[in-house]
Amino acid sequence: MSTDTSTAEKKPSRLEQSNPDYDPNIVVETQNLTKIYRDFWGRQKVRALNALDLEIRKGEIFGLLGPNGSGKSTTIKLLLGLLFPTSGRAMVFGENASEVTKNERIGYLPEESYLYKFLTAEETLDFYGRLFNMPAKIRKERVAMLIDQVGLGHAKRRQLKEYSKGMTRRIGLAQALINDPELILLDEPTSGLDPLGTREMKDMIIKLQEQGKTIVMCSHLLADVQDVCDRIAVLFQGDLKELGRVDSLLKVSEETEIRAKNLPPAAQEEIRKLIEKHGGETVSIENPKSTLEDLFLNIVRESEERPGHRASGAIDSKPSNEAN
Amino acid sequence: MIVEDFPLFSEWIMPGLLLFGGIALAAALLGIFFGFITASFRHGPFEAFYIVAQVIAEAIPDFLYTSPRRVVAMARLAIKEALRRRVILVTFGIFAATLLFGGWFMDAGSESPHEIYLNFVLWGTQLLILLTGLLISAFSLPEDIKNKTIYTIVTKPVRATEIVLGRILGFGALCSALLALMAVISFFFIWRNLSHDHLVAGDNQTIAAFTEVDPDNRISRITGKRVSDAAVLVAQTNNVSGHTHRLEVVKLIVGEDKSVLDLPDVWKTETEGDNTVLYRVVCFPVGGHTHRITVSGSGNDAIVTIGQAIGQFRARVPLYAKNLTMLDKEGQVTEKGISVGREWNYRGYIDGGSASMGVATLAKAIFDFEDLRASKFDKDSDVVPLDLTLGVFRTFKGDVQKRVTGGIQFESVPDNAEVENRFISDINSFETNEFQVQTRAIPRKMIGRMVAPDGSLVREGEFDLFDDIAKNGKLRLNLTCRDINQYIGVATADVYFRQADNVYWINFFKAYVGIWCQLMIIICMGVALSTFLSTPLVMLGTLVMMVVGFFTPFIRELTIPDRDGGGPIESLIRVITQKNMQVDLETGVLDTVIEKSDQFITQRMSDLTYLAPNFSNLDFSQFLTHGYAIDTQRMLVAIGITLAFFVGLTLLGYFSLKTREIAK
Repeated sequence: MSTDTSTAEKKPSRLEQSNPDYDPNIVVETQNLTKIYRDFWGRQKVRALNALDLEIRKGEIFGLLGPNGSGKSTTIKLLLGLLFPTSGRAMVFGENASEVTKNERIGYLPEESYLYKFLTAEETLDFYGRLFNMPAKIRKERVAMLIDQVGLGHAKRRQLKEYSKGMTRRIGLAQALINDPELILLDEPTSGLDPLGTREMKDMIIKLQEQGKTIVMCSHLLADVQDVCDRIAVLFQGDLKELGRVDSLLKVSEETEIRAKNLPPAAQEEIRKLIEKHGGETVSIENPKSTLEDLFLNIVRESEERPGHRASGAIDSKPSNEAN
Repeated sequence: MIVEDFPLFSEWIMPGLLLFGGIALAAALLGIFFGFITASFRHGPFEAFYIVAQVIAEAIPDFLYTSPRRVVAMARLAIKEALRRRVILVTFGIFAATLLFGGWFMDAGSESPHEIYLNFVLWGTQLLILLTGLLISAFSLPEDIKNKTIYTIVTKPVRATEIVLGRILGFGALCSALLALMAVISFFFIWRNLSHDHLVAGDNQTIAAFTEVDPDNRISRITGKRVSDAAVLVAQTNNVSGHTHRLEVVKLIVGEDKSVLDLPDVWKTETEGDNTVLYRVVCFPVGGHTHRITVSGSGNDAIVTIGQAIGQFRARVPLYAKNLTMLDKEGQVTEKGISVGREWNYRGYIDGGSASMGVATLAKAIFDFEDLRASKFDKDSDVVPLDLTLGVFRTFKGDVQKRVTGGIQFESVPDNAEVENRFISDINSFETNEFQVQTRAIPRKMIGRMVAPDGSLVREGEFDLFDDIAKNGKLRLNLTCRDINQYIGVATADVYFRQADNVYWINFFKAYVGIWCQLMIIICMGVALSTFLSTPLVMLGTLVMMVVGFFTPFIRELTIPDRDGGGPIESLIRVITQKNMQVDLETGVLDTVIEKSDQFITQRMSDLTYLAPNFSNLDFSQFLTHGYAIDTQRMLVAIGITLAFFVGLTLLGYFSLKTREIAK
């Protein structure tokens, strides 16, 4: 996948124009955001979100993490105006989340790609382009570019009902990017994707960030969140349990990791003695293991390069997140 | 055909707007009240006030900034959805199959095949298209919400107005196209099935195929039926479309007008003494139509050609009286004439008698016509057609062969009766064609007298209808019943001057405008209800409204206060206790409770009829089937009603979509 490099100047929101105190670096803000689901008679069924306070800054990848039913999707839906808060406020670009105009700067990929199955890929993107009042010429160019970007050129005239889950996910991402949004909300972006698709999705997310876009994603796949997110919020039963930078949250302060290449056993022994000399405790000295994801991706890549040959799957000594 | 009084569009629009404004205001206040109460339960009264105010405030930009491009995009999606789900294809398939096989079951040889065919296609089309409109509008939005495809719409800068309008316009455009296609196909179906010609029954197509009429008994040897008095020869056509026509050669004496000699159906002319005698071949009407006859050649070898059917595709344009006044025996104005039972609802009756018969009566029906201009009639004709459809009520059988006689008299209506002279025509007697349309040719040159304002005679003689009598466009027609103890019943629409006919095919498609109006209201209703109800409830709700719409006059009749038998609860009790409608229920607390409950229920039923569309106002099919031109004023009112429902239901759809949570 290649990513779009064009970043058109966006119209500032009404609040940005009218309120000099508004901080344009804060893209999403929630204050005491609470959502209680009720039954037909107004009785409380479940407290899905409880007094959530969040600030998501421009240009970061923010992850909402938590088990099923923790309030991740509810938060996203509240930010999109699909749900109304029971109390508190959800602000996007300084505007109330129920304001329609904010959607001009937002892209949203739902958990399942809720698209019209009777449309083809081209018709789907053309339709969503029309909803942004895009002129025909620009719309056509944008549709062609996005179809190419998500690798669906071969199936662009097939109805979505014939698509596999992975293909549906890709066209779902394309529709979320049709307006070249500043803020992208991704609900379980890697759900239903194979490892290759997952990797491509994660690469895409990082490249979108490089273009200056803000990304909010929610997932229960911890590895995905760890790979791409700058900051995370951990939710459990509607409560915010942890909030901060991924690297600082995962940092184990009392341990030190040293990585070296082509180190002979004698040198390893020398390092062990040096650690003991300084009062440290050696936990382990061993060859690092790669991830199953890296092994799988290498096999696929090799098979594509040398068709007909058995792939060795040999992994580069570089760590997986540096290999790409 | 019963024609209710109908206002001009200009007369209808102001009261219509007031009614619409009243209903809209009441609905708005109710909406605000219930919105506030619901929000108060959830958020408390202060927050509720803020929420309600916000919803109202946001509605203004939502309507102002509604983007036509987005509406069109939503409409295109709705069209694609309906097309790809093949709903339209299935509807069209059923329609085509109905036309294909429906013809087998219709009797082209019946009394009025035109009405049967038209009723069939109009009713079939109406049923199919309304159900299609209901189905696609009821399924669409709830399906989107259920499948969550709506998530990808409302997270784009799409306003609730655009979603509602897009659906209505998309489904409306698609169903309109389908309706237009059905109308065109129906037109050709009727044309193809009813257009026909005949041959003269027998071995050849000449006068030789005719048989002589026995002047003594005037019975046709072919059919065994009586022939007309002037017939000298008689024949029959072959059987086409389930019927035959009687052909007669009639012998007529030519008067001053010699132009009749050039008619194509003249076989021969002879001279008898001082008179010229003409022999014409006449085709007698069957099932509301006849055929043009052309005779070529002479003698018994003259060839008789029977052309295409004429008279079945008509669009008569009536000029109705502006006012109808009924006078009783004493010459006093009565509101509705004499009641002869249930008929009183539509027609008023005048009782008969005449001075010549020794029973003087001043009872008459006075029709005041306005805007009667020569330009509205055939300028080459020296007569003006007057159509009468008169009801007759007999108090004794009398001579069953003799029809009840009526009298027609014309009067001018001067603008200033104190200074202008007034024309009064002689009374022309005629036999009524009881409950059937009869056309009387009123001569432009009328015999009568001109009287001065003081009643003195100014001049007697011949006067021109348009130049002398109705030169200000006003004419009074006095209709009397000439037979003692018999009654003639009339309503305003029963007596009219018949203007030049409208073009039939235009009239045909005008009838579909009524169906289109019904369709659009159903679609608007389906879309509006689907913003807050599930598919089964939408279908149920819209069907209820449809039923109420089709039976509005009946339901309003049921809700008349103090109706015999009481309201629904009292009626049920009477059914269970087997008490007839005239017996009072036992008085007491229970009786009062029942009465009050019935009053409440019937009042709500009555209210419901004002919320539901009165489809009888949108149904023009009876004009087409009875051969009348559809008044443009009626169409304008129908379109006005449709527009009112469109606006009201769009607002309902918008507010319910705006105030609901899309996600669960």
